[in-house]
Amino acid sequence: MDSGLAGKAVIVTGGSRGIGRAVVELFSAEGADVTFLFRENTAAAAEGVAAGRAAGRQITAEQVDVRDPQGCAAAVERVADRCGRIDVLVNNAGMVRDNLLGLLEDDDVQAVLDTNIGGVFNVTRAVAPHMIARRAGKIINVSSVAGEKGGRGQTNYAASKGAVNAFTRALAVELAPRRITVNAVAPGVIETDMSQAIRDRAAEEVKSRILLRRFGTPIDVAYAIWFLASRYADYITGEVLHVDGGFKME
Amino acid sequence: MPVDITKDEIMAVYPKVAQTIADALGCDVEQVALNVPLVEGLDAESIDFLDIVFRLERAFKVKIPRGQIVEDARGDLPEAEFEQKGYLTEVGLQRLRDYLSEVQADRFRSPMKVADIPKFFTPETFCKVVVRAMRAVQGDDSRGRASEGTGAPNTDG
Repeated sequence: MDSGLAGKAVIVTGGSRGIGRAVVELFSAEGADVTFLFRENTAAAAEGVAAGRAAGRQITAEQVDVRDPQGCAAAVERVADRCGRIDVLVNNAGMVRDNLLGLLEDDDVQAVLDTNIGGVFNVTRAVAPHMIARRAGKIINVSSVAGEKGGRGQTNYAASKGAVNAFTRALAVELAPRRITVNAVAPGVIETDMSQAIRDRAAEEVKSRILLRRFGTPIDVAYAIWFLASRYADYITGEVLHVDGGFKME
Repeated sequence: MPVDITKDEIMAVYPKVAQTIADALGCDVEQVALNVPLVEGLDAESIDFLDIVFRLERAFKVKIPRGQIVEDARGDLPEAEFEQKGYLTEVGLQRLRDYLSEVQADRFRSPMKVADIPKFFTPETFCKVVVRAMRAVQGDDSRGRASEGTGAPNTDG
């Protein structure tokens, strides 16, 4: 199966670990020229680049906080200058700071919103003109099951991911005339650092609410992103694809 | 505010601006006459203007802030005197007539929405934008060289 990703210039935010790392590995293994953005985990980023290059893959890392619009714009320009174009953007960078509404600090709210939806704006605004000019491109946003289903202690995170879904649908309308597709994937509980706390605290109880009775893995989500980035999804836009094993929240 | 850009300056950048607009709109460069209204004449949409500005920035290696044309037209006029509730004031309309001097003056009729200003843009409008942006770059360069020469800090002033 030819996904059409070989030779494509791809940007993945939050690519040093978790779902982003799986996307970087999967896409680069297909022959894509992948640049991932990371905020602080320099060791993990360097290890990801080194491992990929040892396997003969094209992987580049750019350290930038997606909350910084100028930093994002500069990083995107460097990728565009190096690759001559940007074909695929995966907005994956995100954070959680769960707590009951009454216990959230201002910074817990702001940091989550600024990263999870502000970062999507910052990177997409920098990338979109390149895609518009070429009249081609695929944007995939990583949302969450929390964007549509309520979860205790997740008002900040849920609000940010609901915004990602709305952003996805609105931008799909805006960019469709330029043959750019915009979709999202909404992972459930995935075995990453981000979900470690809930998996430690209530693993069996959470699994009992997943129809497939297991947590997802980063590669489960990466395959869905791969599909939306591939030529097989050329006729899909404005959709939110759930990758959650049939997760039911209460 | 009168536009202090000469015809020679406009014609110097026009061929490249026209080609850039033709590439963005997917039309022949021959269709991009200097004064053709881009919306009515070449079916340009708002997203096309973003594309045109993006391409011009790369073609001429300049920075063109979004909304620059309206800002330039407003000049030193306070925003409240330029527009009110999304409509141009009479003074604002006159500023726009002066700035978009390439457009027939009687096409600007009150009441006029600020959001409708792009309907009047022509290739010449973008030539002016490019000339101004190039001047800004040259100004920055000369300021930079001056400060290097004197050892003075390079400030925004």
